[in-house]
Amino acid sequence: MGALGNGTRGLAGGTDLVPLLRDGLVAADRLVDLRRVIPSGIDGTAIGAGTTLAELEADPQIPDALREACRLAASPQLRNMGTIGGNLLQATRCWYWRLNYPCRLHGGDVCHAREGQHREHAIFANDYCASAHPSDVAAALLALDATVETTRAAGPLAGLYRLPDDHDRNLVDLGADELITRIHYERPEQSVYLKAMDRKRWAFALVGVAAARYDDGVRLGLAGVAPIPWRLASLDDLEQATPLPGTAYKLELARALGRRAIAAVGG
Amino acid sequence: MSTTLPLGRVGERVKRVDGIPKTNGEFAYSSDLFAAGMLWGHTLRSPHSHARIVEIDLADALTSPGVHAVLTHEDVPGQKRYGLEFPDQPVLALDRVRYFGEPVALIAAEHPEQARRAAERIRVAYEPLEPLVDPERALEQEPLHDERWTHGHGYRDDPRPNVVRHLVIRHGDPDAEGAVSVSGVYELGIQDQAFLGPESGLAVPDGEGGVDIYVATQWLHVDRDQVAPCLGLPPERVRIHLAGVGGAFGGREDLSMQIHSALLALHTERPVKMVYNREESFVGHVHRHPARIWAEHRADADGRLVSVRMRILLDGGAYASSSTAVTSNAASFACGPYAVANALIESTCVYSNNPPCGAMRGFGAVQTCFASEAQMDKLADALGLDPVELRLRNALAPGDVLPTGQRIDGSLPVAEVIRRAAALPVPELEPLPREAIRLPGGAGNTTRGEGVRRGVGFAVGFKNIAYSEGFDDYCAARVRLREDGSAEVHCAAAEVGQGVTNVILQVARTELATDDVVLAPHTTASVDSSGSASASRMTWMAAGAVQLACRAALEERERTGGEVDVERIYRHVRTSPLDPETGQTTGERSHVAFACAAMRVVAEVDVELGLTRVVWIGTAQDVGAAVNPQAVEGQIEGGTAQGLGLALMEEIQTQGGLITNASFTDYLIPTALDMPPVESVLIEDPEPSAPYGVKGVGEPPTVVSTAAVVAALRDATGRELTRVPVRPDDIVGL
Repeated sequence: MGALGNGTRGLAGGTDLVPLLRDGLVAADRLVDLRRVIPSGIDGTAIGAGTTLAELEADPQIPDALREACRLAASPQLRNMGTIGGNLLQATRCWYWRLNYPCRLHGGDVCHAREGQHREHAIFANDYCASAHPSDVAAALLALDATVETTRAAGPLAGLYRLPDDHDRNLVDLGADELITRIHYERPEQSVYLKAMDRKRWAFALVGVAAARYDDGVRLGLAGVAPIPWRLASLDDLEQATPLPGTAYKLELARALGRRAIAAVGG
Repeated sequence: MSTTLPLGRVGERVKRVDGIPKTNGEFAYSSDLFAAGMLWGHTLRSPHSHARIVEIDLADALTSPGVHAVLTHEDVPGQKRYGLEFPDQPVLALDRVRYFGEPVALIAAEHPEQARRAAERIRVAYEPLEPLVDPERALEQEPLHDERWTHGHGYRDDPRPNVVRHLVIRHGDPDAEGAVSVSGVYELGIQDQAFLGPESGLAVPDGEGGVDIYVATQWLHVDRDQVAPCLGLPPERVRIHLAGVGGAFGGREDLSMQIHSALLALHTERPVKMVYNREESFVGHVHRHPARIWAEHRADADGRLVSVRMRILLDGGAYASSSTAVTSNAASFACGPYAVANALIESTCVYSNNPPCGAMRGFGAVQTCFASEAQMDKLADALGLDPVELRLRNALAPGDVLPTGQRIDGSLPVAEVIRRAAALPVPELEPLPREAIRLPGGAGNTTRGEGVRRGVGFAVGFKNIAYSEGFDDYCAARVRLREDGSAEVHCAAAEVGQGVTNVILQVARTELATDDVVLAPHTTASVDSSGSASASRMTWMAAGAVQLACRAALEERERTGGEVDVERIYRHVRTSPLDPETGQTTGERSHVAFACAAMRVVAEVDVELGLTRVVWIGTAQDVGAAVNPQAVEGQIEGGTAQGLGLALMEEIQTQGGLITNASFTDYLIPTALDMPPVESVLIEDPEPSAPYGVKGVGEPPTVVSTAAVVAALRDATGRELTRVPVRPDDIVGL
């Protein structure tokens, strides 16, 4: 692990990293193939970080919310390569960030999306940076109360993510040489993932809602609504949203999808 | 590649000769070309939509590993500018860039990655200028071009800056009052052709100062006629050969890498291959013009149209391309296929620093059909009339006069396509529960029936076939009959996936009464021009030319015996320009002929989420006579899908003129799940002036489907939906 950092990046499926390298959004002098280093495979409620989305979507012991989230992510070619660990770290689709605008995530002092086009952007925690996190899988794992094990520590998935600020523009709290190794989830009574997209398949979530029912109630995780995967204690918390003019519709989507997801898991 | 043909004559269902190789992945596209010792070309493009070039420093790039050449505008030996119709576009930027992605410099290197890295080492000092991105304001801003390239070509003299073309069609008394009047403002975003095969080709120097260019294009000879002057060569020393085309839809009418690869090849004396990547392809061709349209329709109490007024504003982007013709087409079809005694149509196209626009399937008629059909539905609503009945009452018919003064003297069965499409039975509502993919939201599993409403829409559209307004539009074919009775046909008609190869072979087999026919490779070297695979013209024109050449060859053989080799040129009826002041035709006609289509669409909308499902499409299309009914149905389905894409998801997004979604991850096109089954009825009403009575079939489905899909969404939601693409936020919106 000491080899990572200082211009060296770890590569698992490469489905996110390679396009970022190609577009000049990530620089690396050297890539280290992690596929034999990172645990992979499913063992009860533990998932090796190197497990591909294709493996997860096909395994009947995986809860519906996570299977559906994997199945709805990207195309079969990408799911055959992309790993669950990498998926949790995937970069935003924010055009300004992708076009290398000097935005806050790139160290600048303005969020271009807030003033500009932001239809695909955030309705929560969008004051500093309005980007939206694209991971369907993270939304499902939030609802499934997942914990993440890394080469250094273990803790709730929600703790992997952080909102950017003037001191630190990162969206994840992970050292340069720290790798996600395993994900553990709590088995629910029932779970579901509903994903609103601009077409029938193969598109990022406008809003994705995962719901999982446990003894003590229904847990909700959302994709596409905040710079990081977003957990909701209840649908009432949607009232705390701060949509931008172009994202007001996402609040409507989150309300309706939230109601339907809760109903679907018998909550 | 010579092609032996399967059985099949004109009118038979014939399997496409390129169908199986394309399905198996064996078909060689232009990006698969290879030549021994070839170099890879790369284009350095402007990161600005508008900037002055202060300085270009090539020193580092020239010493970059593997680099054989780095060229700028100074290395263009001939004309520095080119253009499909007006030479307003620099081969490589001179002192100014006018759009995001404009070519600035070229590199040839041993490996494509070396070329790309060398490009990064070219230092261009830009002085960014304020981009002109709002077409509404273009007419009051500084001109983007020093010369008025499109003026003095018989168009209306408009002194305002940045006008590409301004056309006014005045017909009857546009102030005539009706019993009812409806008006609206409509808008269409920028659609991309989104062909799967990016721009690519190979230029091979011939060792004697000339060059052979193998490229995916729509019109070999017009490419040659633009390339040669820029290379400073006579046309015969530039030979263009058709390479495998991965879709075109108008996006390959303009040049992309043709001159660039040839410059590099002649400079390095090595073959040079260029292949754009997807992002580059989005800036490497022109798009469908985005439009803002105001329309007012007046009708009498019986629903007969009294007057139509329309103002159309098209954003042409940085260079003219075919914008002048799109401007005119948008105006020509503004009233839809309806008889209107009075009209005032004003169509304006402007220059801007937005992505350049030009030809795309439907060519102006798509934009005005969307507005005009929405207006017809509004009118039906205002009159309390059935929308189909309203359309029937106004349907154009042969003998009627268009707003341009042209009398329709060929076939145009508007009422019949309306009746036949309206008579197609609509599928019954599917019971719940259903699979997610049979509900709005598709695979996203967003509803089990909650919030879902059904709507039915209807639209009619029409468009011209072939080039208009006095253009000398012709097609050549050459036929060699050998003594053994076999035949070889030469025709430069580009196979762009539409199936013209089969058409040519079917015509030759029919005329020569033999199965032993091969089609020679498409090239400028062995036959005269075919004109463009555009404007729904290629079937008509190629059939006409091959028929003439075959008949001439048979006569010649009758006379001389032995082997014969004859070339003939086919021309359709002459057209005349429009009067620059009145927009009236200055002769008998400005368009050659017309084709129409009517379409009925059933859609379901989840009104809480704004997600949609197009359930079923039924259409009746006026095809003249189907040379190959299977291929006609394929064109109808493909054309419908492209219009559905514009209706529901396709739009190039820009910010300050920069394209922000130049990928198939962010620019969405319909998947198989988004496309419903299409039931098509072919109406065969032969066109009297066309060979075998054929009409083009590629564009009418695209013209009408955007309008028809949105009509169904309006019916389901009760919303006005005046802008396409219609996305979830437009439906759940405020």
